Amino acid sequence: MAGGDERALGELYDRHGEMAYSLALAVAQERADAEEIVADAFGQVWRNAASYDPGRGSVAGWLATITRTRALDLVRARGRRARAMERAAQTDSDGLTSTMGAAADPPDRRIERGEARRLVARSLGELPDPQRRVIELAYFGGLSQSEIAAELQEPLGTVKTRMRAGMEKLRGSLAPLLSGGGA
Amino acid sequence: MTDHQWSELAAPYALGALPPDERERFAAHLAECAACRGEVQALREVAALLPDAAPVATPPTGLRDRILREARQIRPLRSGRAPVIPWLAAAASLVLAVGFGYVYLRERAALQQTSAALAAKTDSLAARDSLIATIFSPDVVTAALAATGKPPSARLFWNQSRRRVVMAVFQLPPASAGRTYQLWAIAQGKKPVSLGVFNTAADGRLTVAMEVPPGLTFEVTAVTEEPAGGSPQPTQQPFLIGKVAPAD
Repeated sequence: MAGGDERALGELYDRHGEMAYSLALAVAQERADAEEIVADAFGQVWRNAASYDPGRGSVAGWLATITRTRALDLVRARGRRARAMERAAQTDSDGLTSTMGAAADPPDRRIERGEARRLVARSLGELPDPQRRVIELAYFGGLSQSEIAAELQEPLGTVKTRMRAGMEKLRGSLAPLLSGGGA
Repeated sequence: MTDHQWSELAAPYALGALPPDERERFAAHLAECAACRGEVQALREVAALLPDAAPVATPPTGLRDRILREARQIRPLRSGRAPVIPWLAAAASLVLAVGFGYVYLRERAALQQTSAALAAKTDSLAARDSLIATIFSPDVVTAALAATGKPPSARLFWNQSRRRVVMAVFQLPPASAGRTYQLWAIAQGKKPVSLGVFNTAADGRLTVAMEVPPGLTFEVTAVTEEPAGGSPQPTQQPFLIGKVAPAD
């Protein structure tokens, strides 16, 4: 078993390092910060491996949660606003998904990593702008619903409705990637 | 709060967009509301995909080495038992199994194994893959089995639709000659039901899958040491015990 743990960490990085880095960069904006965040996140995974509970979700999901939390902590500690937040808040912005392009092919039963990524980006991009913005502000910007309402100068009830409607739409369009769908 | 108002909170809860007080209240509600739990479970899966919407960025080349170097400093590897329960290893072997096609091909190229060894490897990976399917299912419940905070420990996953449990055991020395370990499912007010016997390897670890009899439900699971072959009912106090909890 000696060396196995470390190899396991390497495998984890090979599979999910790019996702973690991309997520960290989307939240924190700076490449140097993203690198620190990802190194910290994997360090936390390593130290807290004992608390990982597969019943609560995939390893990738756990890593993403840690990465996002660390990134938001760093952004807040610096008194900076997340880039995603600023971009998503712009009325005319295409949001985070603008650089992803759209995939033409419908999702297949056996979805590869790249296809999954395209489907997620496209599904988010296809939401009505107001719905997409509240979801991006919450996830990538780390804002609560009331903070989003203040940011967008919209009533809280409107933000709640949009968030719920947007998530339900994503649930439909991402069904092939979810455990309950596509089966 | 009405049911309708509760269900409105599932999306912001899954996105981490509730203020702490509201989050706590909703979490308490989740403990007793299966409908909201289901909703949250599904929306959490949606939220877990959102990192994929971030523009793809390539990490700096030295980052992988740095992470491994820092990991070595945090917890030096030992040839004996790890001081911390090696969940990462278990988790990563899950990762390995999920991506086993890739790993398998790479290892084959690297090691030039014999065809017999390759066949054995495929079998063991296929077995692992089946364990993964058992563990990573939405209706899995889990139990942490512990002995008053000290080793040994175990974690059990119960896939109710497949009627299977998978148990990972750590830091449990093999049973002495003529003895075995036995896993029990215990429902309130009923006699324990044996799920099977097992023994650990010399390194104190084991991952084992067992069938759950049809119709059997249980709230508690426990491990005792029994005479070889197992007993119809426990003959000793359990040294590991854990309560089953929903895995949402």
